[in-house]
Amino acid sequence: MTRPALVVERALWWIPGLAIVLVLLLAPLLFTDFYLSAVITKALWLGLAAASLIFLAGYAGMISLGQVALYGIAGFTMANLAAADGGSPIAWNPWLAALAGILVATGVGLFFGAIASRSYGIYFLMITLAFAVLAFLFFGQVTQLSGFGGVNNVDRPDIVSNPVTDPANLFYIALGTAAAVYLLIRYLERTPFGLALQGVRDDPSRMHALGYNVPLLRMLAFGLGAFVAALAGVLSVWWNTRISPGSIDLPRTLDVLIIAVIGGLYRLEGAWVGAIVFAVLDNWTRGIDVVGGRFNTVIGVIFLAIVLLSPGGLMGIWQSITDFVGRRFAGAASPRPRPAGERAHPS
Amino acid sequence: MRDGSDGGRLRLWALLAALVLVAGIAAGCGGDDDDEDGGEATPTTETGAEATGEPLRIGIFSNNEGAFAPFEGQTWGGAMLPLIERGATPVSGDPTDGVENAVIAGRPIEILYGGSDSTPDSAVEEARRLVEQENVDILLGPLSGSEGIAVANYSKEQPSVTFVNGISGAQDTTLKVRSENFFRFHSDGTQWTAGLGDYAYNELGWRNVVTIGDDYDFPYSQVAGFVAEFCAIGGNVSARLWPALGEEDYSSFITQIPQDVDGFFMGVGGTGTVAFVNQYGQLRGNLADQIMGGIFMTDPVILEELGDQVVGVVTAGMTAGDSQEPAYLEYADGLGEAYPDLAGTASSVFAYGYYTAMEAIAQALEQVEGDLSDDHAAFREALANLELDAPLGTITLDENRQAIMDNFLQQIVEDQTGDGVPDVQTIKTIPEVDQTFAGFFSPETPSPDRTNPACEEAEPPPWTVQGGGG
Amino acid sequence: MSGETAVAGHPAWRTRLAAVPPRTLAVRVLIALVLAFVAAWVGYKAAGNPRTFVVVGLNGLTLAGLYFVVASGFTLIFGLMRVVNMAHGSLYMLAGFFALELQGRLSDGGGSGFGSSSTVGDWVLPLVVACLGVAVIGLVMQQVFLRWNQGQDLRQALITIAISIIIADQTLAHFPGVAEDIAAPDVFPDSVAIGVYGLTYPFFRIFVLLVAIAVGLALWAMIKRTRFGMIVRAGVDDRQMVSALGINIQLVFAGAFLLGAFLAGLGGVLGGTMISVNKGNDTTYLLFSLIVVIIGGMGSLAGAAIGALALGLVDAFGDVYLPTGYTNYSVLLIFALLVLVLAVRPLGLFGRPA
Repeated sequence: MTRPALVVERALWWIPGLAIVLVLLLAPLLFTDFYLSAVITKALWLGLAAASLIFLAGYAGMISLGQVALYGIAGFTMANLAAADGGSPIAWNPWLAALAGILVATGVGLFFGAIASRSYGIYFLMITLAFAVLAFLFFGQVTQLSGFGGVNNVDRPDIVSNPVTDPANLFYIALGTAAAVYLLIRYLERTPFGLALQGVRDDPSRMHALGYNVPLLRMLAFGLGAFVAALAGVLSVWWNTRISPGSIDLPRTLDVLIIAVIGGLYRLEGAWVGAIVFAVLDNWTRGIDVVGGRFNTVIGVIFLAIVLLSPGGLMGIWQSITDFVGRRFAGAASPRPRPAGERAHPS
Repeated sequence: MRDGSDGGRLRLWALLAALVLVAGIAAGCGGDDDDEDGGEATPTTETGAEATGEPLRIGIFSNNEGAFAPFEGQTWGGAMLPLIERGATPVSGDPTDGVENAVIAGRPIEILYGGSDSTPDSAVEEARRLVEQENVDILLGPLSGSEGIAVANYSKEQPSVTFVNGISGAQDTTLKVRSENFFRFHSDGTQWTAGLGDYAYNELGWRNVVTIGDDYDFPYSQVAGFVAEFCAIGGNVSARLWPALGEEDYSSFITQIPQDVDGFFMGVGGTGTVAFVNQYGQLRGNLADQIMGGIFMTDPVILEELGDQVVGVVTAGMTAGDSQEPAYLEYADGLGEAYPDLAGTASSVFAYGYYTAMEAIAQALEQVEGDLSDDHAAFREALANLELDAPLGTITLDENRQAIMDNFLQQIVEDQTGDGVPDVQTIKTIPEVDQTFAGFFSPETPSPDRTNPACEEAEPPPWTVQGGGG
Repeated sequence: MSGETAVAGHPAWRTRLAAVPPRTLAVRVLIALVLAFVAAWVGYKAAGNPRTFVVVGLNGLTLAGLYFVVASGFTLIFGLMRVVNMAHGSLYMLAGFFALELQGRLSDGGGSGFGSSSTVGDWVLPLVVACLGVAVIGLVMQQVFLRWNQGQDLRQALITIAISIIIADQTLAHFPGVAEDIAAPDVFPDSVAIGVYGLTYPFFRIFVLLVAIAVGLALWAMIKRTRFGMIVRAGVDDRQMVSALGINIQLVFAGAFLLGAFLAGLGGVLGGTMISVNKGNDTTYLLFSLIVVIIGGMGSLAGAAIGALALGLVDAFGDVYLPTGYTNYSVLLIFALLVLVLAVRPLGLFGRPA
């Protein structure tokens, strides 16, 4: 009796998923260069930043507003070490600069994780918010590294090509990175580290009693989140060819939170779903002037509606739809067990 | 597992309903607003009796968020006026709504709306959207200093589009970036200070001053001009203070200005000017005889807020609100007629800068009869060699496509027109100030920043007493 | 503890010292050294120019007063209800705009600024209306959006973030003008002599400091002496117990939210008069409130006072007393302060576990 329901339900996840992957793989053929670059590639790296937040929120129970600051640290480090207008005069090989950016951001993430990992829930959110704003102010004030105008024309590896005139390369790099991060986090989910982390999310005191070093686990998780955010930072600088404090200000910080919440804070795929919705809406409201061009009001109302009505975000809504359809197929009144491997929403 | 339960379904439907509602509201308001941006539905394509040929797409963007958003109306008013003078009619009293029936050189003009928030990222993103998605032929903007540098850099990647700067005033935009297809028809922040150092040294007898300005590219350029001139003729700048853009509590910075300086140059702009002047008045009093201002103090909107306390302050800039030249009066009256809300703001650099930009575009287009088919070559040639008859004097371009124009030394005086706002009186006109500031700056000199240029004696500029210009 | 209770051969301080874990001890010594260094540095700089020192100190104190008024509302709401109101800064900003708008209509133009001061009524009436208006907005926000999901603190924070985004965008749409300040009442002198070194200081800034002290005392008296305060205190410690005792906790919550939003509004009008009313105020003052309560400890009034003092003084002195060429980096001091406090006390100086 549950069998056809299960098949249908799974199909409802797999078919749209495969369709999206197919569309993405063929995106350079389907969309204009501008749309590919300014909407889809942007959504991929924004999604990566949101994925680092969802990883922390969904697996470690840490809702962090520091992810944008961390990607900024990676971006600024890279921009300063590579050849560029503004910032420090150092001109390393762009790959080396990118690597250094990722390492520095991960290091800062670990350091900051060590400080913040003893705070939980709402305290953690506030501390990371303060961290994010201070990072923004820091780069605005230290003109040796950036200043208000930021760093322009950052050198990038040849393979990245010119993101304006030849956007396909960067798109595939971003797509590959996003896929790799997705698989990495899904893999980590089953490792002892991932399981311990989920234990910490659900009940830190019990994990402590069981002998786990809870602050260390949380610090490592924050470091890993910083690593993923750093990848987004590197991609964003390649995409933008520049970085300035305006790239990591409070509105941008909230953008990533909004993306994660709209997509679904507790499902990794939600990061990119939210990012696509966000980027498309942004582009659309600028072009046709909805409510007087007030994109922020539109996105704010959507964000509010999602938080009020469906804390699981768009992924949560899709879940409800598949459940509903599945039940109709099952025809039975009794709820059937969830397919194995699918996580419950901790809401 | 509550998600599959009735509660979950209820929430789902409620959410869908809410989203539909939002979409409805959005569409409804969009309808009410009747095409605020003059975007896709601008009716210019269908009308224009004498208009022939393909419509020409001009993207205009200014700041609709951030510290300079209050000046969006002035920039748009300035940009629309040349079109209105050529027969177009404003869609509404709000200049950002655009115009109808705009025609230049027989070609209908379609205006595309854009807006950024004074950060370079947002400016480039908006420029990219207008160029790559809306396919504009000509892009007019941006507003703010750091934005201009970023957009000029971007213009190098779009050789088939012509860029004309809005009012962003950083020196580097044209002196360092030197993009072939980026033109600036107004003087930069440095040029705007021509004459101030001379007045401070020779008229006021100042020898030791402090500068204070927002911490970003445009005020760097302003302070650079003042320092270069004042130090060249023997003055000393003992400290340069840089509060962050958006700072509002200036008390600690004012406290740092030593009591024994003769005066100081203020390059605090935009939203901070009013707060700074009020706080200075409270902490130190006697502001008017200690201060020299940048262009923001004589901006009509800000001057109204500042009131009588700044009477006596000397400033310099590229506009002269007291000009009685027929061309200027015609421009000022035209702006007030087209947009009653903007009456009295003609001397704002925001209106004037966007006005000269659009007027230059129009005159160059008229010279080439609206023909851009040779990849803009003739049009750019026309722009580069244009002798623009602007309301306050002729504007020409140098080899970096940067304006050479007159600068006006002005004093704020008591209200004589009876509108309750202090007036501005031009003391001196410094003719044809160029971007090198009579040889101080070149593509090889360090970009103006917190410490550059250094304060040292040099060949006095020709407009100073020491340079023989007194 | 007095010397008599000490074990023979071990003076009291040594006994107590021995009880402190070595790591904590090391951290405390480090902090003491840092503070001593800072004090010595400021003292060295101040000795050269005591006038500047006095003025900068007053700048810091008056700023701290403003921060305290705003942050006390924030911490009050959190302490009782565990709601982090991320729209607190938006309420601050809205109150400023309301007061500015109303004052403009009352005095019929003429601009604000130094030259034109308002009558007492033209300042007090906008103050009252703006504060009450914002208090009602806060109350509606709590009743409509927050009341039914009590206990879900993250979700409530997200809701208030969404509201703050909408308020910020709508403010931009409806108040397009340049930054202005609210005109102070004309009975206030612009500046007053403070009796040292013949200095004068802006009167309104001192007034803000006095208001902050009054607000602090009133809140303290309310919490210690009134029935409402008693319930608030009990609610902070054990919410379930309070409701089990038959007290209408919802009414108390509504009252606390009203009061907290009112304080944000009061801060907005005071700050709008002392500094200016501007579109970025919402994020600025949210950040200040966050830093104040993170340092002082969420929910603690004394903590808010200490946090505000720390932030105000570090901000003011950092701008002036950092070594020449580094005064622009005062934000790093605030960051260092935050890190230092969190490293030693993750819940802030006066924070208690929820």
